[in-house]
Amino acid sequence: MTNPMNNLLNAPEAILVLKMADDKLFLGHMQSDWTGLGPILEEDIASSSMAQDDLSHALVLYEYLGNRFGLDPDVIAYEREPGQYLCCDLVTVPDEFNWATSLVRRWLFTHYAAPVLDQLALFEDKELVERARKLRAEEALHVEYLDDWMRRLGSGSDEARDRIQKAIDLLSTHAGMLFELPGRDLEPDDSFCCSRSELFKEWDTNTSSVLEQAGLMMQVELPDLKTIGGRNGVHADHFAAAHAEMGTVRSADPGAAW
Amino acid sequence: MVSGDQHIDAVRAVLESIPDPELPCSIVELGLVEEVRVEEDGGVHIVLLPTFSGCPALDMIGKDVQQKVSSLDCVSECKVEWVFDPAWTTDRISEAGRASLARHGVTVPPPGEPFTGPSTTTLRTSAIPCPWCGSTNTRLESPFGPTRCRTIQYCDDCQNTFEDMKRLAPGGGDD
Repeated sequence: MTNPMNNLLNAPEAILVLKMADDKLFLGHMQSDWTGLGPILEEDIASSSMAQDDLSHALVLYEYLGNRFGLDPDVIAYEREPGQYLCCDLVTVPDEFNWATSLVRRWLFTHYAAPVLDQLALFEDKELVERARKLRAEEALHVEYLDDWMRRLGSGSDEARDRIQKAIDLLSTHAGMLFELPGRDLEPDDSFCCSRSELFKEWDTNTSSVLEQAGLMMQVELPDLKTIGGRNGVHADHFAAAHAEMGTVRSADPGAAW
Repeated sequence: MVSGDQHIDAVRAVLESIPDPELPCSIVELGLVEEVRVEEDGGVHIVLLPTFSGCPALDMIGKDVQQKVSSLDCVSECKVEWVFDPAWTTDRISEAGRASLARHGVTVPPPGEPFTGPSTTTLRTSAIPCPWCGSTNTRLESPFGPTRCRTIQYCDDCQNTFEDMKRLAPGGGDD
């Protein structure tokens, strides 16, 4: 008997969608910690709206995978073993309620998400293309908004610049692993991978241009292909805490709805 | 027995009476209804477009449509489907919808203005006529407003806030 979840996890195209969905699920979950606690009202609303976008983007992608593999999207989102989640380390690093860390995390990620969604919009599957286009148009708002904040804080007071630079120094060590290939058996020149080095180059060009305008520094290199991490289910310690908290309601009341 | 056309008219009339839960206009005025199809067995298939993928009102709208259309005598069954293609844009908001939104302090970009770049969401950042006093001495306060589809704007003349609907690029992803 075939197991739909195993089919999903062994389909190279599907796991490229799954990694983006997992990133957005965890990022949205982590960011929603700030709801009600943002530094000013407008930022609270913006932060919560972005978390809402990320969670809904995860759902739109899980729905696509669910339709294709005959699975409930919630089952894909919540009922996998930790080693079957393909999110990168960056999205589950605790921000310790440091606003600069929360902002830089979202900024590093949105510059990765936008070109990846562009790539998903080039696939042959019409349903995936339509979904990726919708999400890409919404992601554009995150890019514009977060770029603006990076420039404002970088050219702000000494304290603002110092805080944002420290957050960059902390998170940039995780940024390279955004580009880890999911699926250890995938070849780097495989057409599914849409060229890892080109994706990195686009990310690097776009982030560098904002950093230059902001007067901030960042050094990120593309890790060796053999470096294995979250995209292959090998997660850092902080993943377990994020995963446990995210699943609290689901495990307390499976199938809960409201 | 009613004909297919009368059938569709009855369904449309019901849809026109269904308000958007977060905006002062109907789902038809807002341009959410893409297609109404009557099947041979009397079942009705309704295709809707989400404004934003994360709009929390989508479930409520879908259930509302399903319940109200199903309650028509001539309808044996009603199916609601949300699709992403064509993408919803503010260009789909009707004149009546625009007028109603304006009365409640919500402005809408004029239809047909070209998009400025690939994959972009075109935010209007200044000079939107204030719906309260008409001044164009206005500015973007925050791109994230009370719902996913609206920004917060501020009028420096009458010193009131108002909201502007976001116009998403319909072909996001195209370069």
